[in-house]
Amino acid sequence: MSLHRITDLAGLHRHLHAAMQLEHATIPPYLTALYSIMPGTNTEAFDIIRAVAVEEMLHLTLVGNLLNAVGGTPDLTVHGFVASYPAMLPDGEEDFAVDCQRFSPEAISTFLRIERPADLDHGEKGGRTITRKKARGTVKAGHVGPETEEHFFSIGEFYKAIEDGLDRLHADMGEALFCGNPASQIGPEYYYSGGGGLIAVTDLASAKAALDLIAEQGEGVTDTIFDEDGEIAHYYRFQQLLLGRYYRAGDARDKPTGGPVPVDWKAVYPIKTNARLDDFTKGSDLREAALEFNSTYAIFLARLTCAFQGAPEEFIPAVGDMFHIKELFHRLMRQSIRGTEGLNGAPTFEIDRLKDDPE
Amino acid sequence: MTPEQTQADLLPGFLAISSVLTGFSEHALRGTGQTELYLATACEMVGDDSMRMMLGAFSACDIGDDTEAMGRHMRLCILSHARFGPLARNLIKLWYIGTWHCMPRDWHEAFGGNPADRDHIPSPTSYTEGLLWPAIGANPPGAKPFGYGMWANPPRVTRA
Repeated sequence: MSLHRITDLAGLHRHLHAAMQLEHATIPPYLTALYSIMPGTNTEAFDIIRAVAVEEMLHLTLVGNLLNAVGGTPDLTVHGFVASYPAMLPDGEEDFAVDCQRFSPEAISTFLRIERPADLDHGEKGGRTITRKKARGTVKAGHVGPETEEHFFSIGEFYKAIEDGLDRLHADMGEALFCGNPASQIGPEYYYSGGGGLIAVTDLASAKAALDLIAEQGEGVTDTIFDEDGEIAHYYRFQQLLLGRYYRAGDARDKPTGGPVPVDWKAVYPIKTNARLDDFTKGSDLREAALEFNSTYAIFLARLTCAFQGAPEEFIPAVGDMFHIKELFHRLMRQSIRGTEGLNGAPTFEIDRLKDDPE
Repeated sequence: MTPEQTQADLLPGFLAISSVLTGFSEHALRGTGQTELYLATACEMVGDDSMRMMLGAFSACDIGDDTEAMGRHMRLCILSHARFGPLARNLIKLWYIGTWHCMPRDWHEAFGGNPADRDHIPSPTSYTEGLLWPAIGANPPGAKPFGYGMWANPPRVTRA
């Protein structure tokens, strides 16, 4: 038996939980870079990052639908769901850590690694998956299994393993695999202002459609720049910011020939990378604001959990929370941190700490 | 000193007087992202000297946390003052509604300042960041949307 194969329903649930963690783990870094852009500047970069972040939220919801469909229980409030930054991604890519940092070439380079196509540098890695013992303390963003772990080179390969598992279990169990309550599915009416759409998962075909959408929007498993609807994959969208030029249909990889993408790396709040509560003086307004951010975020995750666990209508106020969270981001990022040379605050996303170490 | 250096030097005093004039904490004022811009706007229209003198008068007495004494100090030394009063009132309006109003003509005749002083909105975000909105507990109309269907719920306004 190979350790990285999904062979039973519990294994599928574990992988889908990890996939939700993975999709979520990308959101704090994307939003931190996005909202560090001073309003009214870098409008094209803002739109590019915003669109990708919204699609990651779509992916999170699609995986939630999948997990519900196969009888699992999505829960975004469990200890460890929110990564501690710098974080390794939960699919086991361990050659890079993800930071919550300001909009900068370094941030975009990390985003490129997150969204990298499955075949990039493949020769270097020498295979699709690597299975090895977990090095203790290195993987902070959640794991698939307790002892021996799968490590995937890319998110695309992680999802391919999920799809293979789904196929295997479906061959064994037939449609009985999709035993979840259809009323728990979050339907297309709850998603707007982003590419793609929500898919209610009730059978193998809709499950595969959901996985295909995630893969296509992400790094593009087929390694094409544009998908069949003309939507550009996340990897290439971000690459445009570093290369300073838009891709056009027919362009070769790494060689966009479209119009220039104007970027002003200086029109950005000088926030501290991976800010922690302990960076802010106890009792200061900044620390209070950071705590308020974390508790608002915890309420938001609880509301999403509620939506996934049978109350889809909770999605409307949860989306409202996201707009409010944007305001809280800005308020923190405009405050200088006492005792630093010109560094500003930022959300810390220490959600578990609210329970472990309440102030 | 360059204008930037002058203004960086005036910034702490500007935040302190703005907090007393508006009733919002310095943290909340900084959270609007408008502080440097508003200081620069006011200095450009009334001149650095008027701003510097007003901040000097404001911090002349060490009042500490005594809000009643601060109220008296503000009324006597700032708001009733021929030079500082109109400027202080302009700052209140600027923070609340995000618009700089041209100083009265007799003020300019008496104290100088910029002959090109005019009513204007310092930046597109000045309107959305106006203190008026958190003060009345409403979202700025047409800005800071809260998403589909959220109009049916009470507004959620950030107030520090």
